[in-house]
Amino acid sequence: MNAESLRDLWLTYQSTVAFIGLNGLLALSVYTTLSCGQLSLAQAGFMALGSYASAVLTLHTQAPFPAVLLAGTLVPALVAVPLGLPVLRLKGVFLAIATIGFGEVVRIFFVNLDFTNGALGLVAIPQRTHVLTIYGALAVALFVLWRIQGSRAGYALEAIREDEPAARTMGIHATAYKLSMLVLGAALAGLAGALDAHFNFMVEPSSYSFGRVVEMLVFAVVGGTTVFYGPVVGAAFLTLLPEVLREVGGRIGLQPGPLRLFVNGLVLLLVILFLPSGLVSLPRRIRRWLEARRAAAHAA
Amino acid sequence: MGQQIVNGLFLGSIYALFALGYTLVFGVLDILNLAHQAVFMLCAYVALALVLHLHLPMLLAFPVSVAAGGVLGVLVERVAFRPLRGRSDSNISGLISSIALATVLEALALQLFGPDVERFPFGVVPDRSLRLGDAVVSELQVVIIAIALAMLAALTYLLRRTVLGRRIRAVAESPAAARILGINVDRVIASSFFVSSALGGAAGILFGLAFNSVSPDMGRTVELKGLAVIILGGMGSMPGAAVAGFALGLLEVFTVAKIGSSYRDAIAFGVLFLVLVVRPRGLLGPAALREA
Amino acid sequence: MRLPLHSLAVAAIALLAARPAAATETIKIGAVFSLTGNAAAYGAQQRAGVQLAADEINKSGKLPGITLEVVLEDDGTSPQQGISVFDRLINMTKVSALIGPTLSTLAEAADPRAQAQRTPVVAVSNTKPNAITTIGDYIWRVSLTEAQVIPSAIEIARRKLGFKTAALLYGNDDAFTKAGFDVMKSSLEKSGVQILGIQTFATKDRDFNAQLTALKNLKPDVLLVSALVEQAGSIALQARQLGYTGPIMGGNGFNSTKFIQLAGPAAEGVLVGTAWNRASTDPVNVAFIAAMKARGTDPDQFAAQAYTGLLVVADAIQQAGMKGGRDDIKAGFAKVKDLPTPLGKFSFLPSRDGNHPAAVQIVKGGKFEILQ
Repeated sequence: MNAESLRDLWLTYQSTVAFIGLNGLLALSVYTTLSCGQLSLAQAGFMALGSYASAVLTLHTQAPFPAVLLAGTLVPALVAVPLGLPVLRLKGVFLAIATIGFGEVVRIFFVNLDFTNGALGLVAIPQRTHVLTIYGALAVALFVLWRIQGSRAGYALEAIREDEPAARTMGIHATAYKLSMLVLGAALAGLAGALDAHFNFMVEPSSYSFGRVVEMLVFAVVGGTTVFYGPVVGAAFLTLLPEVLREVGGRIGLQPGPLRLFVNGLVLLLVILFLPSGLVSLPRRIRRWLEARRAAAHAA
Repeated sequence: MGQQIVNGLFLGSIYALFALGYTLVFGVLDILNLAHQAVFMLCAYVALALVLHLHLPMLLAFPVSVAAGGVLGVLVERVAFRPLRGRSDSNISGLISSIALATVLEALALQLFGPDVERFPFGVVPDRSLRLGDAVVSELQVVIIAIALAMLAALTYLLRRTVLGRRIRAVAESPAAARILGINVDRVIASSFFVSSALGGAAGILFGLAFNSVSPDMGRTVELKGLAVIILGGMGSMPGAAVAGFALGLLEVFTVAKIGSSYRDAIAFGVLFLVLVVRPRGLLGPAALREA
Repeated sequence: MRLPLHSLAVAAIALLAARPAAATETIKIGAVFSLTGNAAAYGAQQRAGVQLAADEINKSGKLPGITLEVVLEDDGTSPQQGISVFDRLINMTKVSALIGPTLSTLAEAADPRAQAQRTPVVAVSNTKPNAITTIGDYIWRVSLTEAQVIPSAIEIARRKLGFKTAALLYGNDDAFTKAGFDVMKSSLEKSGVQILGIQTFATKDRDFNAQLTALKNLKPDVLLVSALVEQAGSIALQARQLGYTGPIMGGNGFNSTKFIQLAGPAAEGVLVGTAWNRASTDPVNVAFIAAMKARGTDPDQFAAQAYTGLLVVADAIQQAGMKGGRDDIKAGFAKVKDLPTPLGKFSFLPSRDGNHPAAVQIVKGGKFEILQ
């Protein structure tokens, strides 16, 4: 392959590479609360806040890009606090429902906000994000989560996830940890939103629907929520799969849209039923299965 | 004014019917079945197919499709929920697996039926109207409200007066105790899903008739509104779901009439939020739902 | 030397038959439509229109020595997918030009890519005013914007029906329906019509009774609706059911036979502004409709516009001297003048937007007719 066809290859697939990075960040934003056992589905709303805040700044002020990104990260993080305090008291399914409600309220808010053109959204946002920016942000996020995982905070989170009442009796301040994770998740979603707005030239409310956060959840769960890099694996896998499938599916006459939806749903179902720790646990499973076979062969 | 009340009751009856199934499963199993809206949608398609291709009269197509919905519900339980029963995080994983199954079902509907909105052929249900004061009520609307109320009554009867109902309530109380008492818990759970999905399917068919549209994504908005209804009514409470369903229907319609239609959806979620924060058990739900 | 006569004949025939066929150059044109997703109803029509145009152009010899190859891709009504598909067509398949995508929202995401890569794009169904062509000089538009169709449609209808007050209903969470509403509102104001009330709905709504009741109670002379085709049908039905008997006028979303199918008897008398006058007796239009029907598709505006889009590309290639490079086509667009198309005589405006006469339709007897 010569230089020119490499360049063409890059130009063709650079948006896919960028989306993998963005989806990785979004998957991590759902993971943060899952890591302490809470299912929060507000991240589409947080992403919307980040996208709009950063886009408005770019379009109306001369703010430099890093400042714009910072705003996109901080605005949802700040909103997460008054949201989290009343809502994190709720258990399991109720928390999920409350956060779904929040996400919808944010979307409807932007649909009705004339300042940002309502449903028409903001367009002609200059493209300030490069693929490297996205992966830089992803690397930072992964680093932060890696440090948390191995630290005392990480053990506390795991304890809360396993058994919250027990953790509380051990003196762990569960509410503070849960809130911090919610805020961290909001920041990540907001950052992803800001990067996305400056990569895709536009923001509009319909991108931040319930379906969007379900997608993020699927990335995280399929990848695996027991380790910090799991969600990114899931995001990469599920962003690439439709591209691959489009070639295959076209040949057997299946519609690409329903096919992608079907595969997403099927993969999630299979993972949740048979591989609950996600794709990252696959190597371990395979190794164990191989060892068991070797042991059986020896015994025979 | 009167017209808006009719509009609200009409919308509310469908919300109530949908929410009944939702809350039944939650009451029995403590899980939220997010595949409920997929059954809602598929039943409407089944009814449509029966009417269009087999030329069945609606009087026959309706019960057949509702029964099909029940069967589909049993399948949903077997595929998405039963394998997860032992697990510690079965609430959340059950939620996720039902989302997964719903996605698969929606994709199948998209592939089979295409994304376009379909409607029942004109004349399959009577379309005369009556005047009540300054309100116009169509025969169809009256029938739908009547069916919703009838199903609510039937459900209440089932739960209070039949053996199955007693068993369902026992399992809802404590599956372990029910098993000791000799109740076949698996079968009771399957039955609950049958009833719940039959109700959801009925809601779907009525919705398709009422608003003249059947499409693969018809369950999405109703699903979210349904969440608001069961939260408002109280998770697990049948009368709560019914009351809250009608209440939300009326609330939405009056928001449109008095405040402005842009806030119609926001009302549902605003209510949802308020209830969860102030009184999580809703209007008629059991107490003690917060973190232990 | 005695050569057997028949072998001479055979040799002659062989020589004649073996003469190499005229070398044809293949020019690839990418067509990106919503074949799945929310806009799939429109995309299906567009695909049919473009394919018919390609077959006809190639058969007609309008471009001697050139074969137009249409590379069809699905944008899934998803901006992400639209962008990926554009990137692939531009950089891998190396198309000379692109037609589409279906919705304005996707165009705003994907067209900048084409502009950056200096690949011409012909928008055939993007109707958002003050947008799309503003992205750059490689972006051209065949479809009339709402701002071009609605004002004249309202004026024609007003003169014919004489309405003084109006009520508006529109979908406020969709870029297309909201843009349509904006134009409707300003056109009404300019025409001196009093707006009695405005209501909104969400694209996924199916129940419009509350909004329609509120508007009906204001007793407007006319009800204007900006909605996509699926809601349009339900809105018309519910409005009539509630007892609203006045005229209903719709935006571009109503412009589909699917609307008539969905609304049934409620479609009678509904007015729709249109960029495509299907009743035009222009021979190009008549032939187009016949050819589409022969292929099993009852064409709507989207098919006509997509068909015209490829006609325009072919004409641009011709104007550029039978050259099919990206910049050749772009230069050729500027020279397209009064091209005969099913939409009428087509030219580009200096803003690279489309220009051809618009009309108002009324539904009579289950069919669209032109309001004279």
